[in-house]
Amino acid sequence: MANHKEVLEGCTIEIRDDDHLTINGKEIHYEHNRSDGTWSSKYLPYTKYPSLLVMARAIVRDTVEFSHVKE
Amino acid sequence: MAIRKDANTLTAAERAEFVAAIKALKAEGIYDQFVLRHANAVMDAIHRAPAFLPWHRRFIFDLEVELQRVSGNPNLGIPYWNWATGGANASMWDDDLLGGDGDAGGVVRTGPFRAGEWTVINSSGLPAGPLMRSFGQSGMPTLPTQGEVNQVLAVTPYDVAPWNTGSNPSFRNQLEGWIGPNLHNRGHVWVGGSMLPMTSPNDPVFFMNHCMVDKVWHDWQVRFPNQGYLPETGGAFGQNLNDPMDSTPSGRIGPRPIDVLNSVTLGIVYDDATGQPQPQIPVIVIGTNPTAADIGAPGEADLFQFDVSTFGSYTMFTSGPSDTFMTLLGPNDQTAQVASNDDGGENLNSQITRNLSAGTYFLRIRLFSPNTTGVYSVGVRAEGNAPSPTIPELTVDGAGLNSSISAANESDLYLFRITNRDTYTIQTSGTTDTFLTLHGPNSQIPEIARNDDGGVSVNALIRRQIDPGEYYARVRHFSQLGTGPYTIRVSRG
Repeated sequence: MANHKEVLEGCTIEIRDDDHLTINGKEIHYEHNRSDGTWSSKYLPYTKYPSLLVMARAIVRDTVEFSHVKE
Repeated sequence: MAIRKDANTLTAAERAEFVAAIKALKAEGIYDQFVLRHANAVMDAIHRAPAFLPWHRRFIFDLEVELQRVSGNPNLGIPYWNWATGGANASMWDDDLLGGDGDAGGVVRTGPFRAGEWTVINSSGLPAGPLMRSFGQSGMPTLPTQGEVNQVLAVTPYDVAPWNTGSNPSFRNQLEGWIGPNLHNRGHVWVGGSMLPMTSPNDPVFFMNHCMVDKVWHDWQVRFPNQGYLPETGGAFGQNLNDPMDSTPSGRIGPRPIDVLNSVTLGIVYDDATGQPQPQIPVIVIGTNPTAADIGAPGEADLFQFDVSTFGSYTMFTSGPSDTFMTLLGPNDQTAQVASNDDGGENLNSQITRNLSAGTYFLRIRLFSPNTTGVYSVGVRAEGNAPSPTIPELTVDGAGLNSSISAANESDLYLFRITNRDTYTIQTSGTTDTFLTLHGPNSQIPEIARNDDGGVSVNALIRRQIDPGEYYARVRHFSQLGTGPYTIRVSRG
């Protein structure tokens, strides 16, 4: 089992044991479709992702819960 | 009536009206309520499942009603985003409608929804910065072509088990975008930015994208009038034809898929409508030989209608070698389910026997398995040998009659006789939310008045001047699923 931790755009992404995902300490629920090898999350309902980390980075970038764009 | 037009064909005045109405709803806080309704719905209940299309049809219908209110224009419709002609250079992205792409950082800085003029909210309802877009930069570089839309329009049935992103063949799944050319999802992902998460209604183009999705569904329904919504039963709760959908309030129309299946009855008109007449529903005459029919394609459902002129007991049945499933709807309403049956008849045929008041009823016949085809015959007979049910009679200025709606979709019929032209009041009392219709004179069929909450609390009341004759009052629960006791009374004055 692999662990991963990185900071992206000010947000801390942490994956424990390949399957436990948190962003800024908040647990992120997701679905892993083993038949087509994709990950998806309720945060981003229109896309499936090829890995848990790619999905986590997209959540940081694209959801207003985690991205902090200034006008 | 909402007239929905291609966003790229709107006049300058129509653009200004739409933008002003959206901004008025934003100022009232109503727009953000729509964002939250979508953002806080259960994702898998409104996406990646059969209810995806009816849920969003109801959602954009509700916004349209609000747009009509604030604009004062009862014909204002949400423009649809015609993907094939709606690329980055299309006029819908001009500064007088949606504004354009985001800047290098994704921030929208042009048009009426630019930074400083429009603030998005997060799923908690808190301000969360400017509107963001990055056309074609989020993994979908192109929009659907007309050829791809046509390809999806040819797919049947509506949906199929396992009722999710793996469903195939499935019109819903192709239109949503999990298999096939990808239409709806592609619209979201092509715009990118604020259109990517569950808060995607933050970008007004959300509603144009879903208006296009709804138009494609409408076009498909016109093309395949016998391909009904699936599943009728057997899916997850909230996904079946008669289930209330997640995060859908009660309103002018009901919260179930069956309540939104017909765009015409919702008052929606698309600008490219050819005026093609609605398909005629075959009529069954009670007591005649059964009508031969067939389910020629898997998932197909046939609709028939028959007229009941007198209250009584009737049997609706199929015959033949197929395993049929029957749903009885009415009276006078194709969305009000009375009863359903699988194997109540001979062999695997369906059959329903029921006391019916006067009115037009509808029978929807499908095969039990959505994966098969087959032939059958369908008929209706009056149970003439059975004693004719007696209609309870109300006496003018007499005591009220106590009764109850004891089952979903039940309605009770009452008779009263008027000998002198005068004003009379028919009303219910009690704690049940009753709905009352008045029929006559001397016939159960013509409806001359109806009322929901004109009485005390949620009781119904009709006050009307009527001529001598026999009249019929029909009482049902306002909710098609509701039950409860009530008292009904007729009085002069």
